[in-house]
Amino acid sequence: MGEIIVITSGKGGVGKTTAAANIGAGLALRGYKAALVDADIGLRNLDVVLGLENRIVYDLVDVAHGHCRLKQALIKDKRFEGLHLLPAAQTKDKTAVKPEQMREICLQLSEEFDYVIIDCPAGIEQGFRNAVAGAEKAIVITTPEVSAVRDADRVIGLLEAAELREPKLVINRLRPKMVRQGNMMNIEDIIDILAVDLLGVIPEDEKIIVTTNKGDPVIQDERSLSGEAFRNITRRILGEPVPLMDLERNGNFFLRLRRMVGLG
Amino acid sequence: MATDPGQVRADPRVRGAEENQTVLIQRTLRSGQSIFYPGNVVVLGDVNPGAQVAATGDVIVVGALRGTVHAGAGGDEAAVVIAFRLEPTQLRIAEHVSRPPAGMVPAGQPEVARVRDGVISIGAFSGAGERQGTVARALVPYDLEAESDSEK
Repeated sequence: MGEIIVITSGKGGVGKTTAAANIGAGLALRGYKAALVDADIGLRNLDVVLGLENRIVYDLVDVAHGHCRLKQALIKDKRFEGLHLLPAAQTKDKTAVKPEQMREICLQLSEEFDYVIIDCPAGIEQGFRNAVAGAEKAIVITTPEVSAVRDADRVIGLLEAAELREPKLVINRLRPKMVRQGNMMNIEDIIDILAVDLLGVIPEDEKIIVTTNKGDPVIQDERSLSGEAFRNITRRILGEPVPLMDLERNGNFFLRLRRMVGLG
Repeated sequence: MATDPGQVRADPRVRGAEENQTVLIQRTLRSGQSIFYPGNVVVLGDVNPGAQVAATGDVIVVGALRGTVHAGAGGDEAAVVIAFRLEPTQLRIAEHVSRPPAGMVPAGQPEVARVRDGVISIGAFSGAGERQGTVARALVPYDLEAESDSEK
């Protein structure tokens, strides 16, 4: 039986879908079978981010209502051996699926896949309840903004109420320079409030915008910091101990020199 | 409505007979979570921003208090709020409402908030059963009416 993990955040636009696509691709690149489930019915995006939009025939709602078999709705990503997508419906809304149906689909997927990754919609209503219904573990994504951290805190409370204990935290879009200048919440500030284990930190990176628009997960990009951050997150999900990387590796040379001699 | 500055009505969500009982909350209260209790409340964890505690008696937070707390919600002016890290969004005791001054630096030690001369004041909490602490700083009294006027 595979692991069923939901990726959630409360707030919209913090990077749930991007993270789901990259973690799914990352797991596949490491040789695992991964199924991505887009639970954002009515606002489906995961297929677009993965560049698989034009291959959708059946979707999650069709499976839930018995219009097709689960296998028929699964889209195989030919670039990543082992990666499959169960797309959301675009013409329905969140009420088209019930939590029990979602749970049943996830369980069925976990029989065949090593990892089932659920991309949760923003908000804490029906869509959220559907997405977490089938999950055994949770990854909470936040950005270093007070509002995103507040929503993450709310969501962690709701996850605990849904028996999803000890969620793991991913901090997205961190700008090390702004943190150093004291203009952005730092990692410690966020952990201090949320009090959960950190799974990874992804720096703000223009590459993500480019790769996401192209439908090409950034995790393949060997040279980008965000790609490396996602590769590290994938390895940590697999249980490998990977230290947090130096987010200012490509930073100013003199600054690094100053830091090396203890002046930074 | 003729209310004195900084006044707030008793919280109607604190229901039940007022007894001198204490409830123990053995977890962190996260945003959106709340406790309303007719008695004293002890939280063994943090009260995060967006969380709310209201009690007719004292409120003690064995952790960081960053949310909103109302002690003496039935009108008890002698009620106190004690926290290891007292950094509330807003603090209410009986009918008084206050908020920390802008740019307040955390004290780095347990503190107690109580009503002194009609104002919620904060002092170091020296523990050992002692309820009195030296008043270190006063919170800014929060004028509900003035605040709502400024929004118009």
